[in-house]
Amino acid sequence: MRPFEYYSPRTLSEACNLLAEGEPDSKILAGGTDVLVEMRKSSAWSSKAIVDITRIPSLRGIGESGDWIIIKPLTTHTEVLHSDLVRTHAPLLQTAVSTIGSPQIRNRGTVGGNIMNAAACADTVPPLIALDAEIMLKSTSGERVIALSEFFVKPYVTVARRDEILVEVRFPKLPANARSSFVKLGRRNALSIARLSVAAVVCKDEAGVVTDARIVPGAAFPRWQRVPEAEKLLIGQKPSKELLVEGGKKVSEVMISFTGRRWSTEYKEPVIAVLVRRALEACE
Amino acid sequence: MEKKKREVRNESSTGMSRRNFLGTVSAGALGATIARPVPRASGQEDSGNLPQVTITINGRVHQLRVEPRWTLLYVLRDKLGLTGTKPGCERGECGSCTVLIDGVTRYSCLTLALEADGRQVTTVEGLMQGEQLGPVQRAFLEEDGFQCGYCTPGQVMSAEGLLRQKPNPTIDEIQIGMSGNLCRCGAYDHIFKSVRRAAELRK
Repeated sequence: MRPFEYYSPRTLSEACNLLAEGEPDSKILAGGTDVLVEMRKSSAWSSKAIVDITRIPSLRGIGESGDWIIIKPLTTHTEVLHSDLVRTHAPLLQTAVSTIGSPQIRNRGTVGGNIMNAAACADTVPPLIALDAEIMLKSTSGERVIALSEFFVKPYVTVARRDEILVEVRFPKLPANARSSFVKLGRRNALSIARLSVAAVVCKDEAGVVTDARIVPGAAFPRWQRVPEAEKLLIGQKPSKELLVEGGKKVSEVMISFTGRRWSTEYKEPVIAVLVRRALEACE
Repeated sequence: MEKKKREVRNESSTGMSRRNFLGTVSAGALGATIARPVPRASGQEDSGNLPQVTITINGRVHQLRVEPRWTLLYVLRDKLGLTGTKPGCERGECGSCTVLIDGVTRYSCLTLALEADGRQVTTVEGLMQGEQLGPVQRAFLEEDGFQCGYCTPGQVMSAEGLLRQKPNPTIDEIQIGMSGNLCRCGAYDHIFKSVRRAAELRK
């Protein structure tokens, strides 16, 4: 590992100042499960300073405020996994974090880091977008709130400026009539990177008619997004097996319209359709 | 100096023969006893300029000066001679470097020594009860929970971490709890049995 300067701010404002005025080529360290791995590939690593924000207590924890759930960025995946609030109001997020890495990774990796690293395979992002999450970024010049769906530009690139820190992730609690699911396809059960994943939320009225549907595939599109074309197929319908199959095929079609046909399409085309169907079935 | 060490390690991890491997380990241990707190004159290792950390390791308080880039794994093995913790992939995938930090399993290769400042670290050496093996270590012996043994310290630490959270795990919980540790010999079945046995022995 190349030498670097190390800063360990104890307050948020100290961290913001460091990022604004300190070494311009610095990197934030939260869980470190991506940063430290990158740093070892010394040829690719150029940052001269590390700002370790893990000792800022205000950046940790899960809470609620009215109809919203608030997750602070340094909350580890293990903490999300054991949170009653998340289990009650956003079970698909809990399913998603349970598939991340291994116990050691989950004890270390953070929700904020998963978002800011912006890997296409980030497991918390599809559920959070399906939950209509917003994030708050802070710097010395102030705070701003962005819908998570607007945050990503492409894999590993976001609209966050270099001096901004993610300070909050929040989303509305799912309504009582909502069912949600997350399915992930990896090469093995543990320590597995998502090849493809799907987060889904379906709300139905008492007659069983779909009133709201949200489908967010992971690692499928150039950037994360819902698939309104497929969601529209479901809304106003009582889902039949055929309808869910159709929903899956629609997602596959839309995916190809974005990515074009490439070497992996032959595989992804049928597989994403099946994953979407399974995710929707799990919401039945 | 660190870079040179790493090259040696890389060699041993690609074409590992038992002899090379033992050679590397004993060289590491020897280096550690000589290198302990003696200040060095050369640039980065001039310990006077380095940040100081206080880490409680296996109940003993250590005050050390560390380079920011040193991982906890490196400090444990190469600075303190605690070579029970094994380097493997060194990128958070294999689990052989697993230790407990504040009672929770973590990859020491993905933890900077500076991050461990003020924390309680437990390594496999810390599971000993005097000269006797601790219950988890005993269970791995009784149930043959290893073949070559290289991943074993990490497996033992994961088992210890799991049993501290869940003293009576189901087989599913054991499989999930141990899923961050790879065993290239494939001794998984015996490893799971060892964890069950360890749960009994810990009572």
